[in-house]
Amino acid sequence: MTLLEAAAALRAKRVSSSELVSASLARIAALDERLNSFITVTGDSARREAERADRELAGGIDRGPLHGIPIALKDVFCTKGVRTTCGSKIFADHVPARDAAVVEKLTAAGAVLIGKTNMHELAYGITSNNPHWGAVRNPWDLERIPGGSSGGSAAAVAAGMVFAAMGSDTGGSIRIPASYCGCVGLKPTFGRVSRFGVLPLDFTLDHMGPLARSVRDAAAVLNAIAGFDPRDESSSRAPVPDFMPPEPASIAGIRIGLPENHYFDAVDEAVGRAVRRAAELAETLGARAVPVRVPDIAAINTVGRIILLAEATAAMTPYLDDRAKFGPDVLALLDQGRFVTATDYVNAQRLRRLMRQEFDAIWEQADCLFTPTTPIAAPRIGETTVEIDGQTEDVRLASTRLVRALNVLGLPAISLPCGFDPRGLPLGLQIVGPAFQEARLLRIAAAIEDALGIRPCPPEEGLAQR
Amino acid sequence: MDKWKLIAAASRFDIPEEELNRIAPVLEALEAAFRPLAKNIPVETEPAFIFHAGNGERQS
Repeated sequence: MTLLEAAAALRAKRVSSSELVSASLARIAALDERLNSFITVTGDSARREAERADRELAGGIDRGPLHGIPIALKDVFCTKGVRTTCGSKIFADHVPARDAAVVEKLTAAGAVLIGKTNMHELAYGITSNNPHWGAVRNPWDLERIPGGSSGGSAAAVAAGMVFAAMGSDTGGSIRIPASYCGCVGLKPTFGRVSRFGVLPLDFTLDHMGPLARSVRDAAAVLNAIAGFDPRDESSSRAPVPDFMPPEPASIAGIRIGLPENHYFDAVDEAVGRAVRRAAELAETLGARAVPVRVPDIAAINTVGRIILLAEATAAMTPYLDDRAKFGPDVLALLDQGRFVTATDYVNAQRLRRLMRQEFDAIWEQADCLFTPTTPIAAPRIGETTVEIDGQTEDVRLASTRLVRALNVLGLPAISLPCGFDPRGLPLGLQIVGPAFQEARLLRIAAAIEDALGIRPCPPEEGLAQR
Repeated sequence: MDKWKLIAAASRFDIPEEELNRIAPVLEALEAAFRPLAKNIPVETEPAFIFHAGNGERQS
């Protein structure tokens, strides 16, 4: 069942919020010992919030599609009175005095917070193999990573524990786990969703967005969380439209840019095939595929790495003396950040502006881009390298090389399931659009999702038997 | 390799030698990829920072 189907069932009185929350908590109790997707489960407060939602709905107060729906938050979102660890030992006992802006908005929309999800330590990595809170496991294959850093959010959504979950994305951290877990992950335009009250990894690259079971579910969450917030200096005053795609979602006349360079280089054959098939399907719906050449994405990724290394190390400076509190992979990145000079950092931010201007020229040729989200399906837990096209590549760099540039450019991007590899693992299609064009992006994604008919559910027997 | 060790020593970074040995090749590669990009930035190009004087302080 999707979030919107649950919302319809609530209004038709076929189910209550209390029943949805009980089912969610029961599924967490049944599965999460194996998946490890939650750090904190807020069962008691969730039951109380659900009872209130039921009372409100019965009394004619309807806060919209999220009202009474159980959702989860990545454990970077500050929650008043509820521990917020950032997947770190440093913040193991951190209990915020107030909610993040996103949490305020979700609460106002009537969503029921079921818990805080596990993640890569400090949101600084893509495996979600957390040294302090344990490895999150992929619901499709428990020996594989869910991706990260929002790995717990993706696993919880894919396994049917919650209808949606919030994630954060600094270099792909929503889209990578969406791709590896077979769900939808949306990174909105930088500035669209407030960063206020989110423990920062990187001040100028962090984006907040939903993971969900369908494109329209993601749109419903974005409708609730988007908008200007004066407490976030990067927050945008751009008008906030209704993001919900119509049914049916027409894409007639849409120009789909298929990159001739970078995005289809060194990708697994099944991944490339699935993404091209999605573009062909779009053409049958009236869209037009156009070949485009994109600017030097590897250079943009390099700029992104310089910015990320410098800003993440700056954010963690107060804690760096206590090296034992960090896992080895995060510590290595924080150490690298100490070597980025101020000049290099400033120049990276200057290059970012130039690259953004250069990239914008693409939108004269295309309305969106179709690319793979990740070049591979989910790697195994503990794997540090993968082989793609006969070349050995670092798992982190492989997982981020098709997504990181969009954080540097601040552009909206969505990942949705587009097929399976020969082992039955889900594959992700990334659709990228111009700044603040999420509504168009979601419409295109919804049309593709509807046409593909893919709403992947991980094999239940695999989850239950291990 | 030695360059990074000298920088670490001069900057008084408390990074164990084995860790330095591990990250040095990554830094070397990143520097080699980045520095040429920075050579041709027009002088008037502003960095993409965000700061607005008078906006009020962020609350935490």
